[in-house]
Formats: sequence, structure tokens, C-alpha cells
Amino acid sequence: MNLYEFEGKDLLSRYGIATPNRVLVRAAGQAASAYRALGHTRVLVKAQVLSGKRAALGGIRRCASAEEVADAAAELFAAALGGFPVAAVLVEEELALTSEHYLSLTYDTSSRCPVFLYGQVGGSGVEQRLEAVVKEPLDIRQERVNALIPFANELWQCFKAEDTRLIEVNPLAKTVDGRWIACDAKVALDPDAGFRHDSWAFYEPRGALGRLLTQREKLAAAIDSGPAYYRGTAGKYIDLDGDIGVLFAGGGASIANMDALAAVGLTPANYCEYSGNPPREKVHALAKVVLSKPGLRGLWIVGGVANFTSIVETFAGVVDALEEVKPSYPIVVRRAGPQEKEGMELMAGCAARNGLRMQLFGKETSMSDSAAALASCF
Amino acid sequence: MAILVNRDTAVVVQGMTGKEGRRACLAMTEYGTRVCCGVTPGKGGEMIEEKPVFNSVAEALAAFPEINTSAIYVPPAAAKSAMLEAVNCGISLLNVIVERVPIQDTAYCLAAARERGVRVVGPSSLGIISPGLARIGVVGGPLELAREIFRPGSVGVISRSGGMTNEVSWQFRRAGFGQSTAVHIGGDLLIGTSYRELLPLFEQDPQTLAVVIFGEHGGTQEFDIVELVKTGQFQKPLAIYIGGRFAAAFPEGATIGHAGAIVEAGKGAAEKEALLRKAGVMVAEHYEQLVDLISRKVALSP
Repeated sequence: MNLYEFEGKDLLSRYGIATPNRVLVRAAGQAASAYRALGHTRVLVKAQVLSGKRAALGGIRRCASAEEVADAAAELFAAALGGFPVAAVLVEEELALTSEHYLSLTYDTSSRCPVFLYGQVGGSGVEQRLEAVVKEPLDIRQERVNALIPFANELWQCFKAEDTRLIEVNPLAKTVDGRWIACDAKVALDPDAGFRHDSWAFYEPRGALGRLLTQREKLAAAIDSGPAYYRGTAGKYIDLDGDIGVLFAGGGASIANMDALAAVGLTPANYCEYSGNPPREKVHALAKVVLSKPGLRGLWIVGGVANFTSIVETFAGVVDALEEVKPSYPIVVRRAGPQEKEGMELMAGCAARNGLRMQLFGKETSMSDSAAALASCF
Repeated sequence: MAILVNRDTAVVVQGMTGKEGRRACLAMTEYGTRVCCGVTPGKGGEMIEEKPVFNSVAEALAAFPEINTSAIYVPPAAAKSAMLEAVNCGISLLNVIVERVPIQDTAYCLAAARERGVRVVGPSSLGIISPGLARIGVVGGPLELAREIFRPGSVGVISRSGGMTNEVSWQFRRAGFGQSTAVHIGGDLLIGTSYRELLPLFEQDPQTLAVVIFGEHGGTQEFDIVELVKTGQFQKPLAIYIGGRFAAAFPEGATIGHAGAIVEAGKGAAEKEALLRKAGVMVAEHYEQLVDLISRKVALSP
């Protein structure tokens, strides 16, 4: 889960990392009084969005009066920066800086270790200057980091104790009066460590795409909550702009099938995925979410040859939802694996009872070919 | 021959008293894998599927010194201690089936395993199968299905997806090929074993004549392949499909499918494909094409 700048800075502050004085504003009307309360003449008004390239998108405004702050906040709240909604606005003291550095801590898939990235080249557009960044692998078991880099050890303590996947401070700046200060903070928490961080429940929900969750995404996210959250997955759902509802089984297959759908010229109304032999109830809940989207003109229920996910159990959940909605648009099903015969019979029975326009395919037809079968319905 | 698992594989199942562990014990045994026993702290003395359960890996090893592989089926919060226990006992291969292990715990255990020379496959692996010899985990599914999909043969399979391990293996089986070993390496951001360890093993394995990979966008593991091919450490025909072209339209940081399939600048499917092609690796447009690409290089195994 990605944190907003203000959440990230609050977290860093708790570990002794200096951050600028700031006030969070949740509505444009509060901006002027926040400015007065802050007590700095020159401030930055910063849109809180889960997007990089914020500065380039005009999300940071320089202001020097309550009126300017109020106007800037009103504009930012009204804007959607690069399609990202502005969740809040931060009014922050503007510091006089002598240098801007880049500092981040994350996991490196190649070395399979945490790595420190540090460069004396921070600020916006750092992606273009990454060759100047030094990469320092760390052992996750080490207690301390003894580096000359400012706040290296504080960052390390935060990284471990808070189960982050990424902390990026860009820029880590030096002020004219010689202080080091974290002027921005990008933090990603590891969702798989949620079981040991009850406090994470207080973060407002947010979508994978940086925007707020849609109603359907919220309903789907609830599917995998509760004590048995790890017993099968059925809560990964993202609303998209197309008109083909999809119900994908398997994480890898879902990725291959998003590509396959695009290859036959269809556009998905959603992304979703269930896997790990989820119970009927979880799949039912997910299928209901998929079918609830208005404007669908087709449905693709597809997965590979399952290892141990029961086709009849998971299809029973899909059928429960189909019985409720009885869609009139074409439906293509491709699936194989344990109890595939019973699963297909269940699906065929549902189609016959409700007069559904359904085509059923097993493993003799590839997933891509079943996408083509759906495309030929239009 | 095959790699990683064979007739000498002797397995302890950590977490065998749980639902998934019990099912895996059955799936392995019916396929002919030697499952010695299980381990669940506090449940020592119980029997599961006629196999004894011990309180610790050390006790299990005392009773069955031939154990060389652990299949780990515990809840995510217990994964770190289970993995460390197996590592500290020096079991040479850990197949970690647990999903949703915190990345910090994975990093910790991989560091410990590296020190001890222990190979870890996973986390979030569904298992490993060397057709006709043995399997770890439930890869292939019920016995009848596993026999239909997997036959001893010449194609090595590496996949970041469990379902696609089966699906890709099936596409080859359908075309008349068999497999040497199929490995589900897991889709997490940090995994213990990836292409750079497996390709040299397949290179050394006389049974393997070609390797296919189901990869995904995100991470840097696919870039390692380029190095292996360039330096001649892997010379057999190699075909790869990298899922996630669609993800180029998603904002950076979005995670789709697996935890490791994260949208990052310069690490998308297209960037990876371009580099691999340049190194001479065959790149499939869609996963079904892997069979066509390999068919041009390798004759059907008898």
C-alpha cells in the first residue's frame, strides 16, 4: 500500500528524521487558516496524490500569503493530477536549500537484499540521473547502518520496524543553515505484513492505481479480509474502462489473459483474479462484483489447467452470481483442472436453465483461442 | 536425470497437520515421492496419512536422517520460523509453498539460507515436478491430471505462476513433448531461486534439450537471462513469454496478479523482450506460441 506524502512524513518523523513544518488541509476552505497557524511567510502548497511526477504536473505551488494559499488549494482540490484525485493538500514551510540529494531503501529482486540508493542528485526528474546513484546492498539482519549518509540509520530502523517495501526521500536536502531535512517522502507498506500492524487499519483505503477505491473495488477488497484472509484469494479487482467483464483464475494466467484480450481487440471492464482454491462464497462475491458493472457487452471466464483449485467449487460460486443476474450478453468459459467435468456440467446447466448465450471450452482449446471465440461474437 | 527432485528426494512436510499440508502429503505420496514425516510444533506423536508427525525438524531428522527436502505449508505468520528451522538443520532444499510471506521475513530467511548453502524455491511456489520421478507440492493436481499433463521428456519448464506451470506444460504435452522438470519459482518480489540458478542446472542436465519460461513484467530477474546466454552459461534453445504488456498503460507502482508483477519504469514486458531478443532468446507473443518456437529447434522426444 502506497502512503501519501503526509503519511510518509509522519512516519519518518517518528524515527527521528527531520521534516519541514507543515499542516494538512482536507478542504480548500481550511487552507488560509492553516497557513496562518503554520506561521511561515513562504510556503509550498502540495497536492497529496499517489503519483510520481507531481511537480511536473503542477501539483506544488509556491505561495506567500493567505490569499495565495487559499487560491492554490482551491485549484489543487479541483484538479485531478494526471488522473489522480487530490486527497488532501499539505501547507509546508519553504526552506532555503543549498543541495538536494536522493535517498531510498527498497528490496532488490536481483540481489534479494534490501538496498540503499544514494545520490547527490535529488529533486524532480531523478529517474533521468539514476546512473549517479550509488547502490549499497544491506543484510536485513543487521541491527544498524553505519553510513555517512544523513539519517541512514533512522531510515533503516523505520524500514524494518514498519515493514515497508520502499522508502524514498527525494530530495533529502541541506538547508542554508546546515540542517538535513526530508523534503518529500514516498513510502510503500508491505501488505503481507499487515497481520503485525494493527495501526494500518487507520489508513484510508486506496486503490492499486493511486486513485480512491471505487464502490466495486471496496466490495471486492472485503472478500479477502478476516482471519482466513490467506485461504484462497478472490479480492483482487480493479475497475477499468472497457466493456468486457472478466473473471480470471490464477495470477499468471490473469496477466497472460489481459494481453490475450487486447490481442483480439477487446477491452476489459475490469481486472480481477481468484486463485489458491478459494471457497465458493468468495468466488460468488467476486463474480457478483464483476457482473454488477453497468454497460457490459460480454463476459470472459477463463483460467489455465488448475493444479488443485476445484473447478466445481469455484464455478459453483460463479453460477450463484449468474443465476442472480442472468446476463443477456455472450459468455465464454475456458477452464480445466480438478473436477472439471462436474464444473462444466454445472455451468452448462445454469446456461440451459436461464437461456444464457454461453460457450464452454476445456483444455483442448487454448486461452487465447477462447478470447478469439468471444471476439467473434461481436 | 531431471533437476532438483528425483528418486532420491526424501521429504519432510512442515505444517502437515494443516489442511493444505495434509493434501500435499497425499499428492506427493500418490505420485511416488518419498514423504518421510511431518513437523508441527506441539503436535508431535500424531499420525497423518500414516506418516509420523514430530515437534521439530531436528526430531524429524533424527528419525529420518535421509531427509533432504522440506515442503513448507504453514500460515504466513509462522513462515519465518519454519524456514529458519529447516535452514538451521541444513536441509538442502526448501520448497516454500506459503503465500503472502512478509517480504522482510523472506529476505531474512534467504540471507540465512545463502550462508548455509541451502536452496530455497519460493515462497509462493506451488511445487516442483520431475515427471515420472517425484513431485514436491501439488503441482499437476490430482494424480490422473498430473499423469495427463506431465510425462518424462526433454523440455524444462520455469514459471513465475503456479497455474501457468501446468498450463504451459500442458501445451507441450498436447504437442507431443514431455518435460524434464517443471519448477514454479513463485511470483513474489523476492524469491530464493530464479532463472539464473535454474538455467545452469538445466544446461547440465542431459535429459533437458530446451527450456521454456513463463515470466512476468516487474522485477529484474528476466535481465539475468541475458547475462547467462551472453556468457555461454546457458546454450540450449530457450523460449520465453513475458506477461503484462497491458500493464504499460497502468501507473507505476501498481501491482497486478502477483506481488512481484509490479509496474516499474524500464522493467516492463516490452523492455525485457527487446533485450532478450537481442541476446538470441526466442520470445513468444503469447504463451501458446512457446510450443511453436521450441518445435522449430527440438524434435519430439520418443
